[in-house]
Amino acid sequence: MKKFVNDPKQYVPEMLKGLALANPDTLKYVPEYNLIMRADAPNDDKVSIIQGSGSGHEPAHVMVVGKGMLDGACPGDVFAAPPMDYVYETTKLLNSPKGVLLLVNNYTGDRMAFDMAQEMSLADGVNVRTLFIDDDVAVQDSTYTVGRRGVAGNFFVIKAIGAAAEEGADLDELVRIGEKVNSVTRTMGLALTACIPPAKGGPLFELGDDEIEIGVGIHGEPGRRRAKIAPSDELVDILLEPVVADLPFASGDRVALMVNGLGGTPISELYIAYGHAHEALAAKGIEVVRSYVGEYCTSLDMAGASVTLVKLDDEIERLLDAPAEIGYRVF
Amino acid sequence: MTSMPDVEFVVRTIAQTAVDNETYFGDLDSVVGDGDFGYSLARGFEIVLSDWDSYDRTDISTFLQKVAMAITGRIGGTSGPIWGTSFLRAAGAVRGKDDLDGADAVAMLRAAIEGIKARGQADVGDKTLLDALVPTTDAIEAALADGKTSDEIVAIAATTARASADATTPMIAKRGRAAYTGERSIGSPDAGAVAVAVIFEALASTWPNREEG
Repeated sequence: MKKFVNDPKQYVPEMLKGLALANPDTLKYVPEYNLIMRADAPNDDKVSIIQGSGSGHEPAHVMVVGKGMLDGACPGDVFAAPPMDYVYETTKLLNSPKGVLLLVNNYTGDRMAFDMAQEMSLADGVNVRTLFIDDDVAVQDSTYTVGRRGVAGNFFVIKAIGAAAEEGADLDELVRIGEKVNSVTRTMGLALTACIPPAKGGPLFELGDDEIEIGVGIHGEPGRRRAKIAPSDELVDILLEPVVADLPFASGDRVALMVNGLGGTPISELYIAYGHAHEALAAKGIEVVRSYVGEYCTSLDMAGASVTLVKLDDEIERLLDAPAEIGYRVF
Repeated sequence: MTSMPDVEFVVRTIAQTAVDNETYFGDLDSVVGDGDFGYSLARGFEIVLSDWDSYDRTDISTFLQKVAMAITGRIGGTSGPIWGTSFLRAAGAVRGKDDLDGADAVAMLRAAIEGIKARGQADVGDKTLLDALVPTTDAIEAALADGKTSDEIVAIAATTARASADATTPMIAKRGRAAYTGERSIGSPDAGAVAVAVIFEALASTWPNREEG
């Protein structure tokens, strides 16, 4: 394993420190709770939006803290849900008269930490609601799991409610919008390689040179099946077909299309994938009106990609169009 | 009778076992999970050990409650909520008692089990730590009824926990991250169940020689 790592135990704190040093005017870092928050939060005139999750998904979620996006993110260690205290203390620190909205990717540990933090915050008199994101179509049998996972689609929920919160929408309205966006968002991912968590120092699973893992989540957990590598267009079809079939997306639909890299795939390859996805959708009469290509929700250094579709209506399209500012990239 | 020093001995053994087995538990979890189990448990129980002297020891229940709050608040992943809830429920089961007997130990384990079921929305057969903890508690209760000594009971618990953990190997995971792999979770034991077995084995090897309180 060759990485820019000092001590694996300091992986997350050192990342957060760097992020804070790079954005001194806009972000504030509270090391006790891994909290990255907007320097101007909480704002009395807007609902505070908080996302936790594990680390290792960057830019999600600490790097999408900013105007029109998250007010704070308090991740746990790599691939581990945050301890309940992180969420509870973050909720108190970012408490606004307009309330607090907790966003949770639907994974067992995250659900438990956020459920407990919400219970304690409500007991303290904080006006807090929780929204679960579950866009992953790879998980079909919900009787075996807590349900679908929340993966790259979380970006669209954050973007839409972030914009609405900036406009002054109240907590009920944000919950309504968030649930609506989540209900029309679908994602499927595949891995070309396993990722290497720094604390483990080796790959999470063995994948042959000619093998791919289909239906992966965002924690390097194995997918539902393994297959042979194929040309990019075929890989994109493997991802796109179950996504299109699931909602289902149909001719005449207007959509946002995201091709998300999982951390170890070059942007050039993501555009190769995007081009085919765009054309394949057009061939079905589905119009792509907003496009997202790059890394939004990663799995450390995993090579691979996920495809997300969001069925748009006027309200969602307007909220996705609204301006937002994050420190992650500056041009 | 079991008093505060015995309870401290058990809690310390659990914490030390979690810290000592970080890599082993992590490797077990990475077969079908994401490998964070060993790391999360070790980082959390390190805090329990480093803050050891600070916990309120007014009575056994209070002590367990303080440990529970440290675990719940400071351990990430699924481990914090699950293990913290189990300590909290165990504390609740012995509130107001200065000395515990075998029946109290069983009551604590039963309370912990109910807490885990509620928090994790899981039950026996879902391929979780419950598949080791429930049969082990049943075995402890039966051994108590047979009039076994505490040394014998701890040894029986360890044997049962190991056999139960091994028995999770052919099961399909229905809760937690391993559940996403469906039938591919067959063939490896559940990491949480193995952790329960390793902890009871550590207790069995040290309990007879502990300094009695």
